[in-house]
Amino acid sequence: MNRLRLTRWLVSLPPTLFLLLFFVAPSLLMIVTSFRYPGEFGGLAPLSTPEMDLAEGGSGLYGLTLETYRFFFSDILYAEIFLKSFAIATATTLICLVMAYPVAMLIARSTKKYRNLMVLLVVLPFASNFLIRIYAWMIILGPESTFSHLINSILGVLGFEPVMLLFSPFAVLVGTVYVHLPFMILPLYTNLEKHDPVLLDAAQDLGANRWQRFWRVTWPQSLPGVFSGSALVFIPVLGMFAIPDILGGTGDILIGNLIKDQFLGTRDWPFGSTLSIMLTLAVLSVAGLATWFARSRAASGN
Amino acid sequence: MKRNNLTLWLAAIPVYAFLYIPLIVVIVYSFNDSRLNAEWVGFTLDWYYKLFNNGEMLLAARNSLIIAITASLLATVLGTMAGLAIHRYRLKVLPVLAFTPIAMPEILLGVSLLLFFLQVLNLTLGMVSIIIAHTTFCIGFVAIIVRARLQGMDDSIFEAARDLGATPWQTFRLITLPLIMPAVAAGALMSFTLSIDDFVITFFTKGVGEPILPIQIYTMIKISVTPEVNAISTLLMLLTLVLIILANRLDAGALRGE
Amino acid sequence: MKAGIIRSYLVCLLISILTGCTSGSGSGDNPSNQQDNILRLFNWNNYISQKTVERFEQMCQCRVTQDYYSDNEELLAKLAAGATGYDLLVPTGDAMDTLIRQGALRELDKSKIPNLKNIDPGYLRTKFDPDNHYSVPYANTITLLGFNREKITALGLPTDSWAIIFEPEYLKKIKGRVTVLDSQRELLAAALKYLGYSAHDTDEAHWQQAKALIIRAKPFWAAFNNTSYIRELAVGNLWVAHGYSNDMFQAAQDAKKTGRQFSIDFVIPKEGAVLSLDSMVLHRSGHRPDLAHRFINFMLEGENSAELTNLTGSGNPNLDARPYIHPEIIANPAIFPDAAQFARLEMLEDINHTQRRLLSRIWTEIKLR
Repeated sequence: MNRLRLTRWLVSLPPTLFLLLFFVAPSLLMIVTSFRYPGEFGGLAPLSTPEMDLAEGGSGLYGLTLETYRFFFSDILYAEIFLKSFAIATATTLICLVMAYPVAMLIARSTKKYRNLMVLLVVLPFASNFLIRIYAWMIILGPESTFSHLINSILGVLGFEPVMLLFSPFAVLVGTVYVHLPFMILPLYTNLEKHDPVLLDAAQDLGANRWQRFWRVTWPQSLPGVFSGSALVFIPVLGMFAIPDILGGTGDILIGNLIKDQFLGTRDWPFGSTLSIMLTLAVLSVAGLATWFARSRAASGN
Repeated sequence: MKRNNLTLWLAAIPVYAFLYIPLIVVIVYSFNDSRLNAEWVGFTLDWYYKLFNNGEMLLAARNSLIIAITASLLATVLGTMAGLAIHRYRLKVLPVLAFTPIAMPEILLGVSLLLFFLQVLNLTLGMVSIIIAHTTFCIGFVAIIVRARLQGMDDSIFEAARDLGATPWQTFRLITLPLIMPAVAAGALMSFTLSIDDFVITFFTKGVGEPILPIQIYTMIKISVTPEVNAISTLLMLLTLVLIILANRLDAGALRGE
Repeated sequence: MKAGIIRSYLVCLLISILTGCTSGSGSGDNPSNQQDNILRLFNWNNYISQKTVERFEQMCQCRVTQDYYSDNEELLAKLAAGATGYDLLVPTGDAMDTLIRQGALRELDKSKIPNLKNIDPGYLRTKFDPDNHYSVPYANTITLLGFNREKITALGLPTDSWAIIFEPEYLKKIKGRVTVLDSQRELLAAALKYLGYSAHDTDEAHWQQAKALIIRAKPFWAAFNNTSYIRELAVGNLWVAHGYSNDMFQAAQDAKKTGRQFSIDFVIPKEGAVLSLDSMVLHRSGHRPDLAHRFINFMLEGENSAELTNLTGSGNPNLDARPYIHPEIIANPAIFPDAAQFARLEMLEDINHTQRRLLSRIWTEIKLR
C-alpha cells in the first residue's frame, strides 16, 4: 500500500510542481501587480520601502492601491475596447459556426476510409505557422492584389469608391475566422460522428423533410459540440493581438493590443496587469456560461 | 441520402478551398520573380537563396529548433506523467493546472510569465525563459493525448500485472509505456510543432539579441515585406506537414483530442 | 519503430547542442562572455554605416554585434524587461535622463576618450548630463515634415508649417497621402508646437486640445507609421510624412537614385520642432567597457563621425567632422539649422508616471476614435 502511495506522489508531483511554479505563481503575481503603483520610470514602485526608490528619483509611492482599477473604470474608453473585442469574438464565432457545420457533417457522414484523410486536410493548414496564415491574407487583401482589383472594379461598376480591404475591421475578421476555423470544425465533427443515423431515418419515416430533420434531430444533439467549438474560438479571439496588429488599421485595437502596449511600450505594468485581470474575468465568465449551458442541456435529458 | 450529400459537398468544398487557397498563394509567390506579391512575373529560386544566406534567419531557425526540442522533451515527460496521474488517480487539482493554460488566451500566460521571470526569479529573458514558457503550455496537450489513449484501454491489464507481482515501475516500463508510446510520441510531435510555431508567448518571454523564428517572420512582415517571408513560410509549412502526418500515423485520435 | 523515434529525437537534440557549441554564433547570456571579444551595440535602425563598423572591427580586432530599436520607448521597455549585456546604447536625451536617474549607466572614463574635445561645446552641457559623466553626443535628428516637392507645390499647399498635417482645408487635398509618426510623444509634441505651446508642456488642458486637433485630422491620414514612410515617400505613394530628418534624407537620396520625376524635400516647420540629441552611453551590464570606450573614441574622430552624416544625413555635433561632410549636407538648413531656427527647437524631457498614464489614455483615444 505504501509503495502505491509513493508511486502516486512520484508520478503526480513533478508536473504539479512545475505548473504551480510556472502557471499559478505567475498568475497570482499578476493579480498582486495590478494593485501596485507604477514605477516612476516604468516597471513597479516598491511594495514596502520607498527610500531606495526616492534616492533614484522615484515618486516615493509604495504599497498597494486601487488607483489602477479606478483609472480603468474612470473612462468609458476601455469598456468600448472590451465591447469591440467581444463583438469581433462573437462575429468570428458565428461565421465559423456557419462555415464549419457543413464540413463537420460531411466528414461525419463519410465512410471511415475517407474520414481520417478529411480530418487531416482540415488540420494541416492549422499546423502551419500562425503568422504565415495571417501573412497570406496580407497578400490577398493587399491593394495591389488580383482580389482587390476585382472587388474594386465591381464596386466601380456599381458606382462606389474603391475600398481598402487591408488594414480594416474586415481584414481582421477574415483573419480571425481563418485562423480559428479548424477549432470549430473538429469538436463539431467529434460530436456529429456519434449521432445515430437511425434517429434520422425514423424522422424521415414520420414524414419530416430535410430541413425539419436537421433542425429537430441533428442540431439539438450537436449542441455540446457547438458549445465546445464556440468556446475554443471565442476565448482565444478575445485575447488576440497579432491579427489586429498585422491586418488591422490604427483604430482596430483590441484588448490584447492594449495589454501588449502597456508591457512593451508604456511600461505601465500595473495597468497592463489590471487589463489582463479584466480579460481573465471576461474569459472565465464566458467559459462559465458555456459550461452552464452545456450542463442545463444535459440535465434536460438531451 | 445521396441528394443530401450533394448539398453538403457544395457547402463544404468552398470552405476547404477557403482553408487552402491563401496558403497556396504564399507558396506560389515564393517562387515569383518580383518583389511585390502582386502578379506572377517569372519563376525563380532567388528568395530561397537569399534566405539561406540570411545569417539572422539561420540563427533564428537554430534557436527555434533548440527551444522546440528541449521544450517538447520536457513537456512530453511531464505531460505523460500528468496524463497517467490524472487517469489513474482521478485527481482534481492537476487537470485544472494542466488544461487551463490551453484554454486561456495566450497573451495572459505570456504576460504573467514575463512579470514572474523579471520580478520573482530575476531571470534574464533568453532561451531558458522561452523554453519554460513553451513547456508550460505544452504539458496540457501531451496530457490530453496520453489520457485519451489510456481511457481507450482496458485497465484490467494493469491489474493483472500487479497480481502477478510486478512493481509499479516494472508495470510502467514493460506494459504501460509500450502501450501508450504512440500517444506519447504524438504528444511529443505536437509539442514540437506548437513550440516552433508559437508567436504570442515567445513574443513576451524572449530576450534581446537572440533571434527566434516566428519573431523574425513577424519583424519582416511589419517592416519590410519581401517574398523571403514566403520562402521561409513554405519551408516551415513543409516541416509541419511532415510532423503532422507523422503524428497522425502514430495516433489518429491525437488531433481530435483538442 | 517507436524506439526509433525516441532515438532520432535524442540524436537531433545532441546535434543541435553540438552545433550550438561549435558555431559560436553567440547565444547571449552565458557568463563566459568576458572571453568573447565582442562589443554589443544597441542602436537605432539605420544609425551607423556598416563601413564604419567594419573599420572598427579591424582596428580593435573584435566583433561588433548590433541590435536595433526604432523608438526610445522600445529601448526603455526592452531594458526594463531585463535585456542585459549591452555595452553601448544610443538613447535620446529624455530616455538618457531616465537611464541616468535609474542608475543604469556606467560612468565614463574621460581619459580613454581624448577625442571628446572634437565635440561642439554647445552640445556638451545638456540638461540631463551637464558634466558629461555618462554621455557623449553622437548625432542629432530633428522631427519634421518631409514632402514631395512637385506634388505639394502643384497643389499650392504651405510647406513650412505643421498646418499641412493638421488643418482639414489642406488635408482634404492630400487625403490618404499623409502619414504621421506612431509615437505618442512625437505626435503630441508636433500638435503642441502647432498650437503654440512648448513641446514639453504637461498641462492636461493643453494635451486635450492637442488630442482634439489630432482626432480632427486623423481621417485624412493614411497611417501612423515609423518605418515604411521612407520607402513610400521615395516611391511616390506618399506626398507628406511626419518623420525624422535622417529618414527624410534617405528618402530624398532614394528618389534621386531611382530617377524619379519628383524630389523629396524636408523642412523645419516655422512653429518649431523637436530636436533629438542622441548620445553614446555605457550600460552597467555590459561586459566590455574597455571596447566601448574605444568605440566612443573611434566615433569621435572627425572622419568616422562624418561617415554617419554623409550616409544618413543626421546632424553632427562634432566640429572635427565638418571638413569630411559633403557640402550639400552642410548647406541644408534642416540638418544644420541656423541660429534662429535652432532657437525654435526643443528637446523632449521625460514625464512622470501619472503623466505617462494620462498620455497612454489619450493615445488610446486617438487610435480608437
